[in-house]
Amino acid sequence: MARSESEVSSEIDSIRRVQRGDGEAFGPLVERYQQRIFSIVFHLVRRRDEVEDLAQEILLKAFRAIRTYNFQSSFATWLSRIAVNHCYDYLRKVRSSRLSYYSEMTEESARELERKLETPESRGLDHGEKLSLREFVGALLARAPEDDRVILTLKELEDYSVEEISELLKLKSSTVKVRLHRARKRMLEDLERWRREGKEP
Amino acid sequence: MNCNEVRDFLTGQWDGGLPAELREHLAGCAGCMGYLRNVRLLQAGFRALADESAPEPSLGFAARLVRRLQEWEEKGTRSEFFEAVGRRFVYATLVLTLALLLGLALPSTGPVRGIGGAEFLGLQSNNQATQPDVVGADFTDSRELVSGRLPD
Repeated sequence: MARSESEVSSEIDSIRRVQRGDGEAFGPLVERYQQRIFSIVFHLVRRRDEVEDLAQEILLKAFRAIRTYNFQSSFATWLSRIAVNHCYDYLRKVRSSRLSYYSEMTEESARELERKLETPESRGLDHGEKLSLREFVGALLARAPEDDRVILTLKELEDYSVEEISELLKLKSSTVKVRLHRARKRMLEDLERWRREGKEP
Repeated sequence: MNCNEVRDFLTGQWDGGLPAELREHLAGCAGCMGYLRNVRLLQAGFRALADESAPEPSLGFAARLVRRLQEWEEKGTRSEFFEAVGRRFVYATLVLTLALLLGLALPSTGPVRGIGGAEFLGLQSNNQATQPDVVGADFTDSRELVSGRLPD
């Protein structure tokens, strides 16, 4: 949703005040962007109990670095970049402790879901099926390398465009496209492996 | 289109429609049809994941955060102060210790009062009438000191 001129100028004013050392002025910025940060963190990390702590760490980091913000990109992009980088580091850190998944999903239930998905939208799935599919694909995503996970989350879950992702990750659009293609391919290969072997490769 | 091209297209044009040529290939290729089913399953899974909403920030999250920032800033300022004062304290202690060590070590090795200077001191006492103080005396030849003779 487009913001009014006064909202934009009030945001710029808040940023400048924080840059001059007025911590109080950070409050409105947090309120404006907290939901976006929570969403990025949740979709990337998928641990409800960790979201608030991670969001807090991200906002503290942003506060400390705010003097380096030079208004070149939007504040939302700058903040989201910090969030993505922070989550990326977190994911790398917890990589070894990630649990093996392969959930409750069976080949048979996957086939049943597919039959329902023959319709263009997944509206045909009931609540339980949606939950089961979410758990299954969430687990597949959790197994993916961090780079794949970040790019897929931003594109498929957070609905960023390729251009927005390229600005956020400071990559060329062509690089984003290649990485996205590669990430999807790896996910599909992992899914296929599961189908063939019915267990963790 | 061959299988590789079809799969490449399905992966790249994730959200796009299926061209006639591709549909034709799919009709006769079970492998690529399976690939398409996997694509659809993943897409549906991603949609289901995207629909899951993130937890809401707890009540007063922003206010608490700002308070924490301010505490952190104050702490930062305080610790900077203590760090500066602490550093000065360490320097002062070092200087004092060095001064004390020098104060203890120098007299024992010096030319006048130390053991090494005893002989010299003795010489000095013998010649006090002519040589009131050794320190600062204008010796013209150090060899005379070594041999125990004072200059005339």
